[in-house]
Amino acid sequence: MRVILPLPEVLQRESSRALPVMRLSWRHGILLAGLLCLFTIAADAAGTSPIRSSVFAVLARWTPLLLHGFALNILISVLSMAIGTALGAFLGLALISPDRPLRGTAWGVTQFFRNAPWLVLLFFMIFILPYHLHIGSFDFVLPDWSKAVIGLSLPVMANVAEIVRGGVQSIPNGQWEASESLGFTRHQQLWMIILPQAIRRMLPPWMNLYAILTTSTTLASIVGVNDVVTLAGQVLSAEGSRPDLLAPIYGYVLVMFYIYIYPIAWATRRLEHKYQVRN
Amino acid sequence: MNLIAAWFSHLNETTGINFTVFYDPFDRARFVQGFLVTLELCGVTIVGSVMVGILGAWGQGAASIWLRRLVQFYIQIFRNTPPLVQVYFFYFGLSALLPEVKNSFGMSQPLIGGFVWASISLICFAGAFNVEIFRSGIEAIPHSTLEAAEALGFTRLQTYRQVVLPLGLRICMPALTNNLVNLIKTTPLAYAIAVPELLYVCNQIWSDNENVPEMMLLLFIIYIALVGVLVFIMHRWERALRVPGLGL
Amino acid sequence: MNAKKLALLGILAGLGATIAVNSARADALSDIKAKGVLVVGVKADYPPFGSLSPSGENVGIEPDLARELAKGLGVKVQFVPVVAANRMQFLEQGKIDVMIATMNDTPERAKAVDIVHPDYYASGYNVMVPKTVNLTSWNQLKGVPVCAIQGAFYNKEVAEKFGAETVAFTGVAEALTALRQGRCNAFVYDDTAIEGKLQDPSWKDYDMPLESQDAQPWGIAVKLGDTDLAAYISKSIIDWDKTGLILSLETKYGIKHAAFAVQMHNKYK
Repeated sequence: MRVILPLPEVLQRESSRALPVMRLSWRHGILLAGLLCLFTIAADAAGTSPIRSSVFAVLARWTPLLLHGFALNILISVLSMAIGTALGAFLGLALISPDRPLRGTAWGVTQFFRNAPWLVLLFFMIFILPYHLHIGSFDFVLPDWSKAVIGLSLPVMANVAEIVRGGVQSIPNGQWEASESLGFTRHQQLWMIILPQAIRRMLPPWMNLYAILTTSTTLASIVGVNDVVTLAGQVLSAEGSRPDLLAPIYGYVLVMFYIYIYPIAWATRRLEHKYQVRN
Repeated sequence: MNLIAAWFSHLNETTGINFTVFYDPFDRARFVQGFLVTLELCGVTIVGSVMVGILGAWGQGAASIWLRRLVQFYIQIFRNTPPLVQVYFFYFGLSALLPEVKNSFGMSQPLIGGFVWASISLICFAGAFNVEIFRSGIEAIPHSTLEAAEALGFTRLQTYRQVVLPLGLRICMPALTNNLVNLIKTTPLAYAIAVPELLYVCNQIWSDNENVPEMMLLLFIIYIALVGVLVFIMHRWERALRVPGLGL
Repeated sequence: MNAKKLALLGILAGLGATIAVNSARADALSDIKAKGVLVVGVKADYPPFGSLSPSGENVGIEPDLARELAKGLGVKVQFVPVVAANRMQFLEQGKIDVMIATMNDTPERAKAVDIVHPDYYASGYNVMVPKTVNLTSWNQLKGVPVCAIQGAFYNKEVAEKFGAETVAFTGVAEALTALRQGRCNAFVYDDTAIEGKLQDPSWKDYDMPLESQDAQPWGIAVKLGDTDLAAYISKSIIDWDKTGLILSLETKYGIKHAAFAVQMHNKYK
């Protein structure tokens, strides 16, 4: 059974055009913040317990702790992206290699990690990876968040590989033929002719992948990493699980992510536009 | 069946590889139950998110600027925030603002349960992506086709139902398949709000039996099989729908 | 191309094989002293035994006990928040040196980790329900949705013995929230933790009306093979019982003296 979708070139361009975020404006941020305020005020009015402090005071009190957790989410996302991109670049090149066994293996790896649920991969890494890793005379220590990095970088790797493959295949065949007739070796063709052109087309889906990855870092909370979602739960617990705090606190976390991802989505859209015109 | 049970029981005794779900009736029952819940969750959210996608794409082409803005706002919120936090926000946050009902125990209970909230939030999440996918499919339809429909006296709704949607669907099928695969991969999130789906029951089973690697293996196999089945169905459908001369 | 192949094979091998490394340390104590830090797994959502302050500091009875242990060794203490579902794995993997995380001392667990004797505390499980509910017997829970925590050993028992429908969440915060919202009618949890919760004025409308079930001792655990560390902790626990440290910590955090703690104090004083 084939799990990958080998798309004709036209379709692929269509589907990759569908992915990046579009028509975003600063108004959405304002609207979201406004909505949060509304929820907060509604929740504030709904609460009746005399001992409670105001919802805004609670948010203000716990903001430093929550931001600390959010910083960990960002750290995890940046590291997973870096590792996943490095591995994915190799995997992607293997996907377009003329060597059949290599291509087949790379295809299997890509399919596995693209189709396994991220959360299950995370559970797998947290439970299976040891805390100390001895390689030769080196002794690595793997804290839980670093395992989350590894767990998340694997699906990133597979997706980057697909982006690389798609990018390279989007370059017209004539380029390969022309460069071959000029006496370039395959290695030279790839690195001097094809990749420099393909990389431009890979950038928007790559940035889009980063945005998706960043939202997925919250999954680490389910496997015990002390990220912003875990901390949000602990804050709720410390405040006595007040029902009126639920929407504001989780809404607050939503806003944090929105504010971080918004500029990335905006830049992705700009790049998309720019390259579309040139193409 | 007995043979299989005996073999896995033997496997456990001799090697310690413990697939309890194949020989322990209690574990098997909850595993099957969890699998069924996962199937149901996948089915409901796939259908729901496609419907949201169609409605949203229609709204994006509407004349009313407010409707267009609303759809755009919805898309941006659900695409740029973590689905896990969305699930929590819906399940804990929003339901706190809804009315409650009395249950048989004499306590008030939220109107909407975990499974429904998980479905709603996953539909909203995947639906936001589907809107964009359908829109890109619709935009790829040549203008001349739409003009031809108009010339033939089709109303806007008729054009949408009989020309735009069928053609757009064919164009965006690969992207739609990708997003639905993504949706299946996102359903384990329901675990976080105690929906007894596959990951939830597996977690209970490995807590009781200390057999994490075995259950992990089963989880991987099942999810990859689910994705495979979906892709297979979508490919068959795509082939069945193919229109000669659409220029794809 | 060969190097690429090798790299790919390496990736595959790394993923396919579950890496079993990290042998037991014969001299865990000197390791810890050399590191200068004792890494302790504690709960972060289990007041008054282990929770977080607004500044992110670990507070509660168990972090205090951990500080005592570190003080005795002359090292700093570092906390790792754990939950029931991951604490055993963390210890086995060497992510933490010591686990003081409200863990029941059961024979199955003693196979996987070294549970130090004597046990330092004891608790059973019980349910927390709103005061409006007239609950007099465990059998009334038949068919009732009961919130629980993923990984707690009594979930299965509550479901099988009393017929309750457990709804298990990943953390206490989520379970308590679900109880508050009426998503379940009771919350099955350690009686000690429920007692701690009931002191919180925001939970004044809730109660623990039933008899605790299955009182089980709690053990501090170390990794199998860390024998000298286990011996040191064992001596420390006897010390705590002698001086009444655990009783005074109970007072400090405002909970009743547990029968077990009183009994141990009487035994060793």
